[in-house]
Amino acid sequence: MSKDSKNKKVLLIIPAYNEEANILKTVNTIKDYNKKNNTNYDILVINDGSKDNTSNICHNNNIKTIDLVHNLGIGGAVQSGYKYAYYNNYDIAVQFDGDGQHDVNYVKNIIDPIIDNKADFVIGSRFIKKQKDNFQSTTARRIGINMISFFMRIVSHKKIYDTTSGFRACNKQIIENFANDYPLEYPEPISTVELIKKGYKVCEVPVKMNDREGGTSSIKSWKNLYYMINVILSILIIGTRRYK
Amino acid sequence: MSFNLRLGIIVTSILLLFIIFIILKKGRMPIKYSLIWFFSSILILLVGLTPQIFINFSKKLGFVTMSNMVVGIFIIILLLITISLTVIVSGQKKKTTLLIQEISLLKEKVNKNEK
Repeated sequence: MSKDSKNKKVLLIIPAYNEEANILKTVNTIKDYNKKNNTNYDILVINDGSKDNTSNICHNNNIKTIDLVHNLGIGGAVQSGYKYAYYNNYDIAVQFDGDGQHDVNYVKNIIDPIIDNKADFVIGSRFIKKQKDNFQSTTARRIGINMISFFMRIVSHKKIYDTTSGFRACNKQIIENFANDYPLEYPEPISTVELIKKGYKVCEVPVKMNDREGGTSSIKSWKNLYYMINVILSILIIGTRRYK
Repeated sequence: MSFNLRLGIIVTSILLLFIIFIILKKGRMPIKYSLIWFFSSILILLVGLTPQIFINFSKKLGFVTMSNMVVGIFIIILLLITISLTVIVSGQKKKTTLLIQEISLLKEKVNKNEK
């Protein structure tokens, strides 16, 4: 870890929708990590209008939580986190799932390229290195991810392996960018393409992910052609835009 | 065109104009969204009042009957209205999202200060 990393304000944005089973465990894991490694990752839970006990659990355990007054979906929830990061002057914001899929030990790996100024935006990728023991999702889902990856490459001339990873970190400039404009539908692949088109340095680092311990994915069924058509069309449309 | 059909068309269009007028009077629709409905109603009225002009026109364009042309024109108008409505709704959604986010952030701040 580089020397000035301690001075950087890092925010972990944890979107949570009906995550009462996992949220406390996820947050406690991060708190333990902070103690053990002398790091100072701030935690912000975005409760996306959960109908279960998520909000109470967070408030009773003194977890910084923003309760959205109405359900917005993953894009709108995560953007609220970026807005918070922007208003509170954070240097780095990390998207982190509340369902136990993401491992806090990898946060260091994905923020290091930003601290070292090697990248503006880092994606924690499941597929960049082949690991047998690694949770890599179902075959259908991987085919979908590869298809999205293919179209993203056509549009942005850059190969991104894990296009739908929700484990991502960004620097101050992108926090501002996302606070002002973040895709509400299919946010992961679409925001990535937009960033590459805008000329930001985007890179992937390998991470391991756990199979989700509870809750449901925001991408409900990959068999659902509707999602693929929407994402691919969105990517192609972004390809026709001129940024800068 | 039979007298009864013409009468029906005229009555329908006047009814439509009346409905739009009432909606506007009650302030439930801004003028700018009502224009397209006004023009559509007036077009229907003209079809009822002067069918011959439309019959000649539709023959020149190659329609077998005038009614085909009228239906065709209205389908296009309705499509355009639907597209513009989709754009308006999407804009609304964006604004609602922004409001929800900003209110929620403010609420968190206010609650924190109260403690």
